Amino acid sequence: MILACLKWVTHPGEPHDERFAGISPADQSALEFALVQAAALGLGVTAVTVGPAGAEKVLRDALACGAQRAVRIHSAGTLSSAEVADALAAAAPAARWVWCGDYSLDRGTGSVPAYLAAALDAQQALGVISVAWQGDGVVATRRLDGGRRELLSVAAPAVISVEGATAHLRRAGLGALRAAASATIDVVHPAAPAHIDEAVVRAYRPRARALAAPLGEQPLDRLRALAATGAATATRVETVTLAPPAAAARIAAALREWGYLD
Amino acid sequence: MTARSVPTDRDVDVVVVGGGPAGSCAALVAARAGLSVVLLERGPFPGSKNMYGGVVYPRILDELIPEWWNDVPIQRWVTRRSTMLLTETQALTVDFRAGAWGAPPYNGATAYRPDFDNWLACHAQAAGAQLITSTTATGLLRDSAGTVIGVRTDRPDGDLTAHVVIACDGVNSFLAKEAGLYEHTDAKHFTLGVKETLALPKHVIDERFGVRGREGVDIEIIGATGGVNGGGFLYTNLDTIAIGVVLKLSKLGAQQQRPEQIIATLKQHPAIAPLVQDGELKEYSAHIIPEAGLTMMPKMTTDGMLVAGDAAALCLAAGIWLEGVNFAMASGMYAGQAAVEAVQANDTSAVGLAGYQRRLSDTFVLKDHRKLRRAPALVLSDRVQHLYPGMVANVVERMFRVDNPNPKPGVRRIFNQERKRAGVRRRDLLRDGWTGFRSFG
Repeated sequence: MILACLKWVTHPGEPHDERFAGISPADQSALEFALVQAAALGLGVTAVTVGPAGAEKVLRDALACGAQRAVRIHSAGTLSSAEVADALAAAAPAARWVWCGDYSLDRGTGSVPAYLAAALDAQQALGVISVAWQGDGVVATRRLDGGRRELLSVAAPAVISVEGATAHLRRAGLGALRAAASATIDVVHPAAPAHIDEAVVRAYRPRARALAAPLGEQPLDRLRALAATGAATATRVETVTLAPPAAAARIAAALREWGYLD
Repeated sequence: MTARSVPTDRDVDVVVVGGGPAGSCAALVAARAGLSVVLLERGPFPGSKNMYGGVVYPRILDELIPEWWNDVPIQRWVTRRSTMLLTETQALTVDFRAGAWGAPPYNGATAYRPDFDNWLACHAQAAGAQLITSTTATGLLRDSAGTVIGVRTDRPDGDLTAHVVIACDGVNSFLAKEAGLYEHTDAKHFTLGVKETLALPKHVIDERFGVRGREGVDIEIIGATGGVNGGGFLYTNLDTIAIGVVLKLSKLGAQQQRPEQIIATLKQHPAIAPLVQDGELKEYSAHIIPEAGLTMMPKMTTDGMLVAGDAAALCLAAGIWLEGVNFAMASGMYAGQAAVEAVQANDTSAVGLAGYQRRLSDTFVLKDHRKLRRAPALVLSDRVQHLYPGMVANVVERMFRVDNPNPKPGVRRIFNQERKRAGVRRRDLLRDGWTGFRSFG
């Protein structure tokens, strides 16, 4: 089974008006890849979303485009990425290929695909910018720093998240659109989350960092060093000429002295 | 709801093109009668493409949705109607207020059409019509005899056959033209409506326009369109106001003026500026309006097809009456009724659909247009647009001016002096007066 995960998002300015809700171009690309792969492998696509009854419109659109089954995981509130991934994995534990958008309309964290890969114990290729088909597998291209690219050879089971410009979702036929309007949508009520992800609700606190003691012979010097933010004293410029092993050791010692290494 | 029929030789009984007021009312009526109905809308939802945002007179809805006022998404109930006559520095206003219009069964309301149209389409869906959005009807399907048997859409596998096509695809209807229902179209029959929506706090609108709660104001303006024949308007929404002008296309082109400049000039008029001051521009939009009334109306029926709403040029622009949505809703409703009759009688030829024309003729839809057939030309004439406002404003100014120690002059004398100064010939004045009397009297 191939799973296409579609995040239904309401417009931030009109959160209660479902006319302005929808899915991102990235999710549309994911659905298109799922449909193309399904045709090549002779499998069916299941479109799934998490949300209230209003979210079924995107599922009907997916059915009209060619998905065979649609599942709505009922949720009237906000779930964390881990909870969404758990619910998706529970709804489709046998999914061989899972296609997700790299970002949603509300520009969330983009972390659901990674959580989902963990929950399904599947390979992951995230933030993919192009896809090539290789037998039963996929060669996914990812962006790296400096304009470089990374090619990933992905085999099932796998979760792949794609960017929005990677594919253009096909236009549904009129007959399919009419049929989808009355198609059955399976509604799943997720189990209550087994744990509360405190990281989601906890206020942001920067991690504590060990700082080196201020330098100075006298207390006043040390106070001055602290008051001057340490910029003048802690980053002493020192030019040395050493062999590579000695240079590395010297750099590590300096970093340790300045408090960057424990 | 009646049990839905299943047509054997067509995909559906009725396909309605256009999810505006006409289309939704047509779909609502046909679906309630048990026909299978598809309502095609080119936008992502009904009303999404709509630029209109004025006054709706929903009285006709009494026949379709009992106590519609309980859930209709309107902005304000119009309880004040004003007509302003403007010159560059003068303003003469006739102002009327009716408290009764602010309570059931109401009269008119300002509304955002994306909300209003969507609400109406939801009623059609609830009655059983199937709404298909983001789909444009690109042409007609005909059988070998030339009878319209459906529409072609821009979707793959996009042909949809039906016993009756009801074209409510708006002004400049491609379907009505393709069906040959328009003998000719002329740019002089159209006006261009342009509008700015300005945001203001509700309490500021209430104070400036002298209203409270959901009370609203509709101001029609003559004589501030920069030499281009047309008119202006100013409506109050809940926390926005809509100000705009309606301009005769041929004159606008000939004078090479920009509509946004004309609105900007109108907003600077001494009588208007205090009303719109500090309004934050939220939207600028434009729309073509069929304003020539009977002169430009197409044939309403052909074999297998009806045309309603703006597509049938059913817009009444007669000076003090500027109405379109009520005519659209009524014509859609009658088109739906005629389609039901024809399908049930198994005769969807032009003869079988003739009930539509009969209903239009027997009701306000065409009676008002016939009665006011001379009004659009009169209202948009050069004299009414460019000579009379200044003449009347000068008469009133001299009437109220105190020129002591001179005695007050007689009104008749002032009028004759101002008429001559404006260059208005007596016989033209009499002719226009007679035309106006026959139209409005």
